[in-house]
Amino acid sequence: MNFVHSTSGTGNNAVAVTRVSDMQWHAMEDDRTVARGDASRRPDGRLFVSIDAWHSAVFDRMANAMLADLPTPLYTVVDEADTDSRSAWERVGFAAARREWGYVVPTDPQVTGLGSVRPPSGVTIVPAGDADEGPLRALDRIIRDEVEAAVGWQTMPAEVLPRPAGTTVIDPSKYAVARHLDQYVGLVRVAPLTRQPRIGLIAVRADRHRRGIARSLLAHALGSLYGSGAAAAWAEVDESNAAATALFEGIGARRAAGTLELVRR
Amino acid sequence: MTKTAGGVEVEGTVIECLRNATFKVELQNGHTVLAHISGKIRKNYIKILPYDRVLVELSPYDLTRGRIRYRYRS
Repeated sequence: MNFVHSTSGTGNNAVAVTRVSDMQWHAMEDDRTVARGDASRRPDGRLFVSIDAWHSAVFDRMANAMLADLPTPLYTVVDEADTDSRSAWERVGFAAARREWGYVVPTDPQVTGLGSVRPPSGVTIVPAGDADEGPLRALDRIIRDEVEAAVGWQTMPAEVLPRPAGTTVIDPSKYAVARHLDQYVGLVRVAPLTRQPRIGLIAVRADRHRRGIARSLLAHALGSLYGSGAAAAWAEVDESNAAATALFEGIGARRAAGTLELVRR
Repeated sequence: MTKTAGGVEVEGTVIECLRNATFKVELQNGHTVLAHISGKIRKNYIKILPYDRVLVELSPYDLTRGRIRYRYRS
């Protein structure tokens, strides 16, 4: 595919926007690429776009070319602090849809206050690597169905969205689970990255909420990280998720970044 | 240093995350530039942290500014 979209002067020279492949656009000025546009589909089917341009006029031209080619709704993400990017997208019709906070989560029990936290009566924590894969996948399915029936997975960080073919548990060894009698009732997934471990998902079955299970899972996960020498972990939380926000802020997690998801309908 | 159709690309190391979604990156030649994350990196939720090795595309209009286009696996 190689459609020349438009030419226009943005400064001293003309800029031509070309669709170079199904999901890529280039803006050229004097044989030099001055902007790139990209689109990609998330596993949940939503189409996300991005544009890198050095000038706002070129950004607008690229955006208009892409928007003419692509169906709506279209999504993009910007850093909360990047007001230039946000206003550029708003200029071409995008509006804020949801916000995600990035937290730096301390692992030291002296700081989190989680050192004395024990699971509720009858609940035990099965460490990562020891959970049985079948029941783990079944629990993941139950929790995802519950979320889908309530707020929907589109309100969740991209990290926890289902993969193609509905696969959600990619690596069972990264999950610790809460077990009540012979049933798994909650899970936490930690990506043990050396740069900064990441709490990818923490969830409890709806009928077991408000019993301290999530807090116990978090205490276990952070305690394990602390034991392995990690001073902090990273976690993303949707702004509207009051329970998760309270859980993390209650243990001294510090809000360090914000990501804004914009949509054009 | 690589010259591409888009401009000059240089490897560097992130030395500081600044508040306004930009990063201070020390290039291989010792120069320091202010860089922001490319839309594609942000769209894919790739996190940039201090000490990460990155590929920076320098702005053709201001060589003290750039855009992080790639984060190398450590």
